[in-house]
Amino acid sequence: MRRLSTIGLAAGMSVALLLSACGGGGESASSDASQAWTVPTSDPTASINVVGILDPKTDGMDNVVAAFEKEHPTIKVNYQHVPFDNLNSVLDSRITAKTGDPDVFWVDQPRVPALATRGYLEDLTSQLSDKTSGLQEATVTSSSFDKKLYSLPISNSTQILFYNKDLLDKAGVAAPSVDDASRITWQQLKSDAKSVQDKGGAQHGLLFGQPNRYYQLEPLPVSAGGGIGASGEGNLTPEINNEGWVKAMTYYGSLFSDKVTPRGIPAEQSDATFLAGKTAYMVEGNWMVGKLADSKLNWGAALNPVWEGGEPASPNGSWSVGMNPFSKNKEAAAIFMKWLAIDGESGYAKYRSYAELPANIEGLKSYLASSAFTGSEGGKQAAQVVKHETENTSVGRVSTVGYIEFEDIVGRAFSDIANGTDPKKALDSAQSQLVTAWKQYE
Amino acid sequence: MTTTGLKSPIGAMAPSVVPPSGRIDIQHKLMIGLLTVLAIGVAATFTLPALWMLLGSLRPGSQVIESVSPLSWHTLIPNTWTLENYTTLFGELRFGTSMANSLLVAFASVIIGLALSVPAAYALTVLHFRGREFVFSLLVIGFMIPFEAIAIPLAQLFTDWGLNNSYVGLILPGIGNGLAIFNMRQFFQGIPVSLREAAVIDGASDLRIMTRIYVPLSVTTLINSGLLIFLAQWSSYLWPLLIISDEAKQVAPIAIARTYTDTSFNFGQMFGGALLISIVPAVLLFLLQRFFAQSIATSGEK
Amino acid sequence: MHPTVPVRHSLTRRQLRTAVLFLAPAVAAIVLLRLVPFLGAAWSTLFERAGVGLLAEERFAGFDNYVTLFGDPLFLNTLVRTIVFNLVINPVQIALAMAIAVLMTRRIPGRGIWRTAVFIPCTIPLVGSSIAWGVALRGDGPVNGILSALGIGPQPFLTSPTQALPSIILVASWVGIGYWMLFLIGGLNDINNEVYEAASIDGASGWRTFWSITLPLMKRPLLFVLVADTVANFVLFVPPQLLTNGGPEESTTLLMFDAYRRTYTYSQPNLGATSTLVLTLIMLLIVAIQFRLLRERD
Repeated sequence: MRRLSTIGLAAGMSVALLLSACGGGGESASSDASQAWTVPTSDPTASINVVGILDPKTDGMDNVVAAFEKEHPTIKVNYQHVPFDNLNSVLDSRITAKTGDPDVFWVDQPRVPALATRGYLEDLTSQLSDKTSGLQEATVTSSSFDKKLYSLPISNSTQILFYNKDLLDKAGVAAPSVDDASRITWQQLKSDAKSVQDKGGAQHGLLFGQPNRYYQLEPLPVSAGGGIGASGEGNLTPEINNEGWVKAMTYYGSLFSDKVTPRGIPAEQSDATFLAGKTAYMVEGNWMVGKLADSKLNWGAALNPVWEGGEPASPNGSWSVGMNPFSKNKEAAAIFMKWLAIDGESGYAKYRSYAELPANIEGLKSYLASSAFTGSEGGKQAAQVVKHETENTSVGRVSTVGYIEFEDIVGRAFSDIANGTDPKKALDSAQSQLVTAWKQYE
Repeated sequence: MTTTGLKSPIGAMAPSVVPPSGRIDIQHKLMIGLLTVLAIGVAATFTLPALWMLLGSLRPGSQVIESVSPLSWHTLIPNTWTLENYTTLFGELRFGTSMANSLLVAFASVIIGLALSVPAAYALTVLHFRGREFVFSLLVIGFMIPFEAIAIPLAQLFTDWGLNNSYVGLILPGIGNGLAIFNMRQFFQGIPVSLREAAVIDGASDLRIMTRIYVPLSVTTLINSGLLIFLAQWSSYLWPLLIISDEAKQVAPIAIARTYTDTSFNFGQMFGGALLISIVPAVLLFLLQRFFAQSIATSGEK
Repeated sequence: MHPTVPVRHSLTRRQLRTAVLFLAPAVAAIVLLRLVPFLGAAWSTLFERAGVGLLAEERFAGFDNYVTLFGDPLFLNTLVRTIVFNLVINPVQIALAMAIAVLMTRRIPGRGIWRTAVFIPCTIPLVGSSIAWGVALRGDGPVNGILSALGIGPQPFLTSPTQALPSIILVASWVGIGYWMLFLIGGLNDINNEVYEAASIDGASGWRTFWSITLPLMKRPLLFVLVADTVANFVLFVPPQLLTNGGPEESTTLLMFDAYRRTYTYSQPNLGATSTLVLTLIMLLIVAIQFRLLRERD
């Protein structure tokens, strides 16, 4: 038996060595990998692996791939769907294996700085940055970090204030406006929502489509004068407990404690809850327009609310595509990425039938001309809102290498505030957690 | 329905085997009646949430949330019945292939896993050798290690070995199950040593003793251990996610993720998918119970 | 009484050879696919990254990761919370699983169906059942609907710092009890009838029979269930991840969730491994105590 365990240990040690060898030595390989490549004028023959968060069938990615392969017959695309909340784990495992698989992958735009700093993203500046004029500037900014282009945006988003017309009418509450001059304030919205609950019989006054998420709530502190949440070099000094933030989040907490907004309805339940027809208002992304258009609800759309006396702000950003620095097919990968994001109206937007708000400017026009935005009064209002907010009020999420921790810690603070924790206390605690978490980047 | 044909087992608290007098007989029947009601109550408590999921999967996806409040019959019973979620699951969402892959992986893991575990448990129970306790503690530590802690380095190792995108890659981590060995060891310890000693005197080898004496006596434990290995593989999520990129080889738990994206969520489909996955182990247990026989070997000795 | 020395020697050697043959495949699988990678992870707790993420060079850091973790009050709270959680959930689950196992081994009609019904929750993927419980436990959800109908007001199950962890325990027990019941049924079936017959001749009551006869004879399956349940609950993280994301006010942040978050969300594998190692060591200690308490007196 002793002999057996000795053999076991010896085998163990060798595997352990192998494992540690996998971990280290990244720098040299990545500088090796970033040799010069160009976007070729004629297609190479190649096969590329692509990891995305959309299902090939139900989300139409098969159509996108087929259309690309038809236009670029020598490049074969192996598309793999990974659930969006596991994308990080899969990338950690696959990219750091340094096999060059996947060549192209979906990137959550606010994570670009973090992924670039981790060495997961190829710098595309010299090859592609002069080709981005057809893309909305805000999306290019959020696909970049440190003045370098690290990914190409394929989609964008904005938030819209939706309302249930029937409930508002029943309560005799005037609908919020699509006109910037008479944009509704958060304060007004709360009292209107309360009225619709009291007089219109609404079960819920106001729902957040993305409750407790920084993405949707960022406009609150920004509009209240609290800023985007961090400042200083590399945005690595957290600023989430200043006056503006406390003010905004006190308001947010009061929505729940005054029972205007129900507690404990997570993002995956929010859309369906609004569609059930017992909710007066809901702030939700542009993707809600399609769902509303398919529903029987009598709905309207208005501009994202503004803080009383503050500047309007609306969230933006969505997904980009990035290139693995270890990819062995960078040229083919670049052709695919460029085709998805830039070529024409953006191949991604076009062949997915404009299912998402495109980052591509021409694509955006077609998106807003689609039936969901033209088929009803609410749809037309939504189109106006999308156009106005993306062009005028959009504020990107804080661009920092520490975004992942930021999003997680701030999200939990928001959640605590919604559940009744004192806002100042929650934000102070999050601030100090963030200071600790960001120490590693100093 | 359950144990027909076999000696009907008597419960742990059963007071007596043959009640002689009629009064006791009535008392006994009353007792059985009460216990049955209690058992049904317990079963209902555990099933109700699953039943609600099942009925949710039989209504249009959006109605699950719509019917939640206020509480009424329609919270449970759909006002519109539909099989749409299931046709989508097996159609567009390609659940069939993924379920088949899961079945293959789980059954292969059970067979190989049991083939590895039975001899290991046998050796750890009846054989005397130095280091036995050490080996046993290695196995115990082995099943305590959270798989998530080693998944990424292990996945990279499998990729190096070319085992990514293969059934072997899916099966391999499931076969060395220390928990199954532990479970069997606990049972084997209850089998009287005298049985083995007698067989040894008759010249039987350990392989023969194991297969002819220990295995037949341990059907219940083999089923339990098999289900243990089965469920571990059947519900495995992170591992297939990390090593399978070819959808043709992907397993069912990952297929559930096809029912939602970052901006949409279909409760009906998700519940349907989750229940489809639960059917196989539930049916297995239901069918295999008939072999949950009472042990005949342990009589007298402890 | 003892055989002569040479015979014994050859016997031992034969046994050793059989043991190696019987054990090698299983031990190899567990050592190579569990223990060795874990040793790698344990070793990595002594390193930190020169930059950010998994591609950054590792450098030796001694016990820095441990100092970081144990200097963090949030981590210490998580540690205590995890231990308390396990001290509550394991006895609760096992007691209920035992009670149900005893019930389900009585000679009652339809027994197989009732058993399967209790077993069903553990066959449903945790992702699905957690999401379902999220709907069931929301403020205006069916569980609160039932409570209101019974005259109890709606409860903030997942949104209050005092009720969130008990709610997680509820969900985890709904899943786990049927599973552990199965192993206890196996153990109960193995107890010989003659023992009960003897007890009934002695006139012992059902309750006394259970305490003085059944339970002592259940030592082996109970040890298994106790150890396995402890391990399962120590590494539990899907329900808190999906239902409460560790909140409110960290009240459902358990050690495995912390380790998972560090490893997979923050991509801090070294700190994540340190957190996991601490978790494993605590588990080891508790499991060692359990083995000692339920030790067989041969």
